Amino acid sequence: MSAAADAVPGRGGDAKKPTVALIGRPNSGKSSLYNLVTGGNARVGNYPGITVDVLEADVTLPSGTPVKVADLPGLYSVEATVAQDTDEGVARRFLETLRSGQEDFLVVQVVDPTRLALGLRLTRELAAAKLPLLLVLTHEDVLRSEGRAVDTERLSSELGVPVILVDARDRNAKARVLASVDDRLRERERAAGRATFDPADVAHRVVREVSTTREVERRRRLTERLDAVLLHPVVGPFLFVGLMALVFAAVFLVADPVTSLFDELVGLARSGLDRALGEGLLASFIADGVLGGAGTVLAFMPQIVILTVALELLEASGYLARGAFLVDRLLRLLGLSGRSFLPLLMGHACAVPAIASTRVIRDPRERLTTILVLPLMTCSARLPTYGLVIQAFFSERSALFRACLFVGLYFSGILAGLLASWVLRHTATKGKGLPLVLEMPAYRVPQARVVMRKAYTVSKRFLRDVGTTIVIASAILWVLLEIPMPGKTPADDAPPIEASVAATIGQAVEPVTRPAGFDWRINVGLIGSFGARELMVATLGVVYGIEDAEDDAAPLAEKLAEAKRPDGTPLYGARTGLALLAFFVLACQCMSTVAAIRRETGGWRWPAFVVAYTYGVGWLAAVAVYQLGGALGVR
Amino acid sequence: MSDRPERTQSTTLASATLGQRVRVVGARLEGDVAAWIAAVGLHEGEEVVVLRRAILGGPLHVRTASGGEFAVAQEIAACLDVVEVAS
Repeated sequence: MSAAADAVPGRGGDAKKPTVALIGRPNSGKSSLYNLVTGGNARVGNYPGITVDVLEADVTLPSGTPVKVADLPGLYSVEATVAQDTDEGVARRFLETLRSGQEDFLVVQVVDPTRLALGLRLTRELAAAKLPLLLVLTHEDVLRSEGRAVDTERLSSELGVPVILVDARDRNAKARVLASVDDRLRERERAAGRATFDPADVAHRVVREVSTTREVERRRRLTERLDAVLLHPVVGPFLFVGLMALVFAAVFLVADPVTSLFDELVGLARSGLDRALGEGLLASFIADGVLGGAGTVLAFMPQIVILTVALELLEASGYLARGAFLVDRLLRLLGLSGRSFLPLLMGHACAVPAIASTRVIRDPRERLTTILVLPLMTCSARLPTYGLVIQAFFSERSALFRACLFVGLYFSGILAGLLASWVLRHTATKGKGLPLVLEMPAYRVPQARVVMRKAYTVSKRFLRDVGTTIVIASAILWVLLEIPMPGKTPADDAPPIEASVAATIGQAVEPVTRPAGFDWRINVGLIGSFGARELMVATLGVVYGIEDAEDDAAPLAEKLAEAKRPDGTPLYGARTGLALLAFFVLACQCMSTVAAIRRETGGWRWPAFVVAYTYGVGWLAAVAVYQLGGALGVR
Repeated sequence: MSDRPERTQSTTLASATLGQRVRVVGARLEGDVAAWIAAVGLHEGEEVVVLRRAILGGPLHVRTASGGEFAVAQEIAACLDVVEVAS
């Protein structure tokens, strides 16, 4: 693969390489076709004016011509007005970039033949825009199973552009697609096609019934029968909640052993480093600062990958659009719509890819609102702190109580997000919204290769965007914790960390955090988790002199529960724990999220707003919980 | 488009009954929104059947003659003028 910069039309070695842009309506089979022709290879292209990811890969055509194949986000129209930073806007700008450039290009429109008339509306617009076209009808297998066939020759003659019909899951189809692209690119005069036809009329003429057996009828009715259950007014919502709970439970059950394995591997690497470098600041910096941060990143990878796979399976099967249908009314009450549902769901794994996924939301105000409340969803990075606090202050309570507290924290995040949406839609993002209009795809069996490619892309982005931030934050934190504050020396019986820069800052902000029950030690933990909340447990471990607290939180939980003031009274109690949990539910302690918001909103105004409002509300909630707990006699 | 006769009294998609076949005859929406919704598949002349409604005034699930199925919010459906197509 060449460097991303080479992919910019007009630059570097790819300057004369034609671009083959795959476009089509959402759910048209575009991803399957991209996977078929590229073998699943993908790099993130770098296109002028397009700041979001467009996947591309190099492919050699049968004639030996190398081309770049770009997989554009789904779009319905190239004529209707759309916001520039949505998926449709990105696809439109990409086409405009190609049209205004000097390089040769071909637009391959991917069309679902089972909904041919809908796809042909876009074909008509592309032809009117005089774009060189090739039509690839996918889902040949589905069409056949529904007892129908398309007369591609007649369709080609009606449209004035070449048309092929393939099953994108059949690897043998690759040669046909590439040969057609090759032929089209070698045409001297590539006509754009006719732009004055009636899509419904053409579709009616070229699609014909070839079989009406009972099996065919049964398959046709499959979506209808599934919808009768899954979208049932009473049963549907219950099944939906149950399915979501199952997905999250499965994610954690499957991810846990993989995370433990990663922990052991990182532990082995740290032991090896300790032996190789001996004791000293450099060895400590590399082992604890850098490798410790990398270990934290790896610990979250399994959850991110597994949840991405689970959501992709649900989306590819056609169920997520049904989920949006079911929750739309609830979200409308809060100024959002069913389109916000997928990003909000993804936010429970990691806000960074979830913020990128808001590009499916067409209404700019709704999209901004969703971005601004996404940091409130309970991402997996909060869980170690939740686990530590529950273990430290509620271990004597029943398992049911602890489970309810844990679930309550999840729902607190959702509730906070929904309340924040309502407030924002009545203030900062006030204005008329665009109610839901969403295509409901037919149910299909997801394609493993496409799902895995998506998981790979999300994991790579997580490692690039979040991983880098965590490693840097961990390294900076090491410096703050290990380097003594100039002019300050610890008391004889105090650990050296009390004289560190972090401890000094922690002590300085005590007047602000004391009403919430936080002393300088917790403040140091909060400083540590400012860049990435994952680092809270490890930082408190350093403060309390517990090695590898992130791997086994029990000794640290014990230390927190037993910590005493000089007069012998407990330093923390249950209300401190609850206040800390309240703060963690609300505060946006994640620089990767802040960076993602900046990228998607194009400036620092909204990221600054998110940090300010989540920290402000988090502090208020922590103070309220601590003070109310005191008033109610909670220790 | 279908050659079936249609009743000319106009109503809205939101008030169509389940299973009723109607034809979109107009959209009382802002130009950009109307154009986008038409591009998605709910354009003038399209025949639509309401399959179900979500609870508590949620969206409608509709199927179009072009083969598409859509979730359409009540607010949008209330702005789409339709006439009944006799079956």
